[in-house]
Amino acid sequence: MLETGIQLFINGISLGCAYALITLGFVLVINAIGAVNFAQGDLVMAGGFLSVVFAEFIIANNPHPITGVGLFILPLVLIGMACFGLLFSMVTYTPLKSCPPATVFISTIAAGLIIQHGINAGFGPEPQIGPALISSGTLAIGTLTLSKQQIAIIVSASFLILCVGFLMNKTQLGRQLRAAAQDPEVAETIGVNGAQCVALTFSIAIALAGAAGLLLSNQFFITTSDGGLFMLKAYIAVTLGGWGRLDGAVIAAIAIGLFEVIVATLVSYILAEALLFVALLLILLFRPSGLFAEAIQRRT
Amino acid sequence: MMALLSQRSFVFTLATILIPLCFALNADTYSQRIMTLSGIYAIAAVGYHLVFGRLGALSLAQGCFFGLGAYSASLMGVHFGLSFFVCLLFAIGFTALIAALIAIPVLRLGSHYFALATLGIAQLTLLVAINWTKVTGGANGTYGVPQPDLFGKTLSSSTEILLLVWFILALAVGLTFWITRKPFNYQLTLLRDLPEIAASSGIDIGRWRLKLFLLSAVFGATAGALQAYTIGVVSPATLEFQIMVSILAMTVIGGKNHPTGAIIGAILLTHLPEWFRFLETNYLIAYGAALLITIIIIPNGIVGIFNNFIINRVHHNLKSLLEDGKKIISYPTGLSLKIKNVSKRYGGITALKNFSMTLDSGQIVGLVGSNGSGKSTLINIITGLQRHDTGTIKLDDQFIEDAASYKRSEKGIARTFQTSLHSYDLNVFEAVLACSRNNLGIEEREQKTHRILQESALISRAGVMTNQLSAAEARKLNLCMALVTEPKILLLDEPAAGLSSAEQNFLSNQVRLLAQSGLSILIVDHSMDFLLPLADRLICLNEGSIVAQGLPEEVLTNSKALESYFGMPKS
Repeated sequence: MLETGIQLFINGISLGCAYALITLGFVLVINAIGAVNFAQGDLVMAGGFLSVVFAEFIIANNPHPITGVGLFILPLVLIGMACFGLLFSMVTYTPLKSCPPATVFISTIAAGLIIQHGINAGFGPEPQIGPALISSGTLAIGTLTLSKQQIAIIVSASFLILCVGFLMNKTQLGRQLRAAAQDPEVAETIGVNGAQCVALTFSIAIALAGAAGLLLSNQFFITTSDGGLFMLKAYIAVTLGGWGRLDGAVIAAIAIGLFEVIVATLVSYILAEALLFVALLLILLFRPSGLFAEAIQRRT
Repeated sequence: MMALLSQRSFVFTLATILIPLCFALNADTYSQRIMTLSGIYAIAAVGYHLVFGRLGALSLAQGCFFGLGAYSASLMGVHFGLSFFVCLLFAIGFTALIAALIAIPVLRLGSHYFALATLGIAQLTLLVAINWTKVTGGANGTYGVPQPDLFGKTLSSSTEILLLVWFILALAVGLTFWITRKPFNYQLTLLRDLPEIAASSGIDIGRWRLKLFLLSAVFGATAGALQAYTIGVVSPATLEFQIMVSILAMTVIGGKNHPTGAIIGAILLTHLPEWFRFLETNYLIAYGAALLITIIIIPNGIVGIFNNFIINRVHHNLKSLLEDGKKIISYPTGLSLKIKNVSKRYGGITALKNFSMTLDSGQIVGLVGSNGSGKSTLINIITGLQRHDTGTIKLDDQFIEDAASYKRSEKGIARTFQTSLHSYDLNVFEAVLACSRNNLGIEEREQKTHRILQESALISRAGVMTNQLSAAEARKLNLCMALVTEPKILLLDEPAAGLSSAEQNFLSNQVRLLAQSGLSILIVDHSMDFLLPLADRLICLNEGSIVAQGLPEEVLTNSKALESYFGMPKS
């Protein structure tokens, strides 16, 4: 009983950690440009497919059969998606930076459509299975057996989250990013290049989305139509965690993952989904400005 | 009707309905089917443009209304064998009811939460449709939706269905034009771009939002019902995000601020998969690309290109009204404003502490105080844009502190704003017209607008777009928008800031005349040169409390006032 409980808990945390990466990227963009990146979910999916492609390439070019190349692929996916993030911001944000935030919302919806159906045209709608992070196996602690895979997901996601936390809070670059997010005009006057900051933020955010795609693609497979739900969960997590707050968003995302796994295991996945939306609507009904105080003033 | 026909925009819209329809009537069955689909989506998109374009609210529920309409109509048709017309009415009623329930919590949300909440509702509806198999038919949907019938006759040919759909589209467009007729269209623009001005000019924002949201639901449901009856099946696909995205793309590409845009967008995008056949089922790539290109290159869509042609700006045809010299503006006299013990705190900061004052008819009271002393908070509280914590506000013998902003405006409180407010889609005349009193006929409203602009020497700029005004002109416009509501109490928030001395003189003369005609006026300003000769009484605020009040010269010599505001050391 206890073992099942702990196993369930680990499952939930590992899903939650992947959600936290998605949400972290989502909220970084919100803070930088005051708008929602509606394509964040599709970018997760794109990251998943990129991992599939990398894994196939590595396995095809390696004479020895290997499993668990995920950890090796992770940096490649991060770099690949970060580069794509620069392109993404150049197309969906740069031409629209003087427009109201709702405009960027729409341009990212459009970009999401192109990404989703572009990949669909290439790979088809069938689920693909991504690489495992490490070769599978279990870890025995006393009577407890834990899947190494899950642990690897939690460890690598936590590592990335801590990296972002360190970058934003402890480095000069992070301070510049936050300054540019808080007040672009004032930041410009003290020598921060606002446009570069936004581009960099997009590229970090999308790299995180790609990493989440890799982490999710083995256990849950990856389908071209998955993006919408990933985005929705990040959106809900940001609302629960306090609009614009990084720490709140990460905690809320982990809570959502945990909640989803527990309800889905005990009752059904559909109930988990439905309850999540109902909870969201109830919160917005009673707390129209979100569950916790907003970190930044909304600019709309 | 004649009035409508004289509007270029209406004629333009009529043409975008009739010309494609004429082509479609002579086309083959397949083309007619696609044009029927265009008409169906156009109905949904016309509804969506009301919320997204006119209100500027990023709703993601239009696809949900579409699906609700499709399900409720066709399930009635399949299970109870009712006629199409009855099913359609049921679908409209049911969807409107759901929309009304959603509207209560959702319409007051800020834009990002509004988008998320409407998306959440859509997802929840989709889950219900897939999993409530007994009623909806589950993931496979329900087949055998009958063909539409009218007066007992089944409409089976593609031409008949095409005509039915486009007739309903014409009705929907007609209703849209009627609801957004002049001057309500300007009020809508004002409440979208400058909600605070709109609220303090007597425009009931909540009611407009509800009205247009419900109307969008009605149009969405109608379109959904028509779609299910046309293809003979209803499935969860009608509730999927693709439908929402398609409607959004049509509205944006065609032009989100005008019903014609919705029609053009719908026709274009339903034909797009035909032109991009090589994309097969991935035609949404083309939708995405078209949407992205449109929003970058022509943010107001295709119709936006022809904007100047379509929209008649109203001031041109008014030259004849001018020279009769008749006094058409009246400021009813004899009202006083009594504020008693009003307090307001923001978190730990006290903005106002037990503030009391009386403003009598014909009186000009000046309010001075350093920045952050609570002056703007006071004006916001009097006009209802902010809620106070304790205290009462009385207009003559009526307590008004619980009334909504627009109600206070109706009772005769008007204000100007400190920040220069630019609206993007109105010219000077239209902006003032939008603020004129709702109980007047359109001609009277136009006359009053004209007279006010004349009195404020802004009439020569009547046709200029509001975002092209100089700072001084923008202040004048702001005052005109307040005056056209025919107020009894006028609150001016730093009206002289940034004005040259000649402009200040013009303004003081105007204010003096207004006071002589009976208005009670409260002026917040920093310019002593402006305020001293003008004010009958001066109140000096510091940290939310009155430190001195009385005749201007008394306040000027009051040591507390000198210390707190004028920055002089204690003598």
